[in-house]
Amino acid sequence: MFDFDATLPLMAVQFLLLAAILNVVFYKPLTKVIEDRSDYIRSNEADARERLAKAENLAKQYESELAETRRQYQATIVAAQADAQKIAAQKTAEAQQEAQSQREATQKELDQQKQAAMQTLEQQVESLSHEILDKLLAGV
Amino acid sequence: MLNFLVAPNSFPLASLEVGHHLYWQIGNLKVHGQVFLVSWFVIGLLVIASLLATRNAQRVPRGIQNLMEYALEYVRELSRNQLGEKDYRPWVPFIGTLFLFIFVSNWSGALIPWKLIKLPEGELAAPTNDINTTVALALLVSLAYFYAGFRKKGLGYFAKYIQPTPILLPIAILEDFTKPLSLSFRLFGNILADELVVAVLVLLVPLFVPLPVMLLGLFTSAIQALVFATLAAAYIHEAIEGHGEEEHAP
Repeated sequence: MFDFDATLPLMAVQFLLLAAILNVVFYKPLTKVIEDRSDYIRSNEADARERLAKAENLAKQYESELAETRRQYQATIVAAQADAQKIAAQKTAEAQQEAQSQREATQKELDQQKQAAMQTLEQQVESLSHEILDKLLAGV
Repeated sequence: MLNFLVAPNSFPLASLEVGHHLYWQIGNLKVHGQVFLVSWFVIGLLVIASLLATRNAQRVPRGIQNLMEYALEYVRELSRNQLGEKDYRPWVPFIGTLFLFIFVSNWSGALIPWKLIKLPEGELAAPTNDINTTVALALLVSLAYFYAGFRKKGLGYFAKYIQPTPILLPIAILEDFTKPLSLSFRLFGNILADELVVAVLVLLVPLFVPLPVMLLGLFTSAIQALVFATLAAAYIHEAIEGHGEEEHAP
């Protein structure tokens, strides 16, 4: 069982040879493949992360723009509503004023005509009374 | 050894041969042929799988590339856990090859029916059940951690022997011998014992009874590969880091 002979050194040499061969055909190329792959994955991952960050930034920017736009249109609506109310109030006031002035003018005209009529009436009353008086006195 | 288990009239489904080797003569050196045959198979398997995985490497892995990438990430993780983020890279090939070679050896011994291939002597089995293989690997680990220590600290590496107190010098020196010893014998013993237990059980009660033990053997084989590679990495880390360093790993 324990007979040592030239098998020992030959086996050692053979093993070193195997290690050298495997170093060339196995360890080096496959290590390179594995490391290339992990580099590739790492760079891809970094790239993807960068792109994700960019996309998130864009989304944030769009969201803020959207919020800005919403604020603007709400402000526009409020302003328009205020304008409309103002115009409506103004128009109402104008119309009321016009109606008032028309009424006053009419009233004044009415008063004038009433006065004229009264005057005419008074003259007529006077002339009639003179006539009545003349007729009555004529008999006398 | 253990040939007594091969009873001449026993059921011929299984027999045990330990200590029988297929000897090859190279010059005036003797080597264990069956160990090399299976180790070449293991090496071929690893190299072919690697070539298939990297031949057409894609960014999105498929099939065998996925499997080998999983293996690579596993051993990278293992060495990083032991050696730390800063120093682990140059050691991944060594520790990873230790793990993969031992793991594939152990499992090939457990899963592939080598018995079907008859050898003139000895039998094919996991290369790690031969003490030569495990000692070779353990000595390589020793060399590796000495190399790591000297490279990092130069001769200052020896300071770690007397670092907390010179009283521990003999123990520190002893450690350098016990480390490869324990590494090699742990692996050798576990794998050999596993194959022996399976063989004995198959000899005694063939067919279904040994199956749970075989599953346990697969589990132990994987754990042993992990333990060997982890300990190798830990020893290297110890040599690099040392006691008296100002920088302390968190």
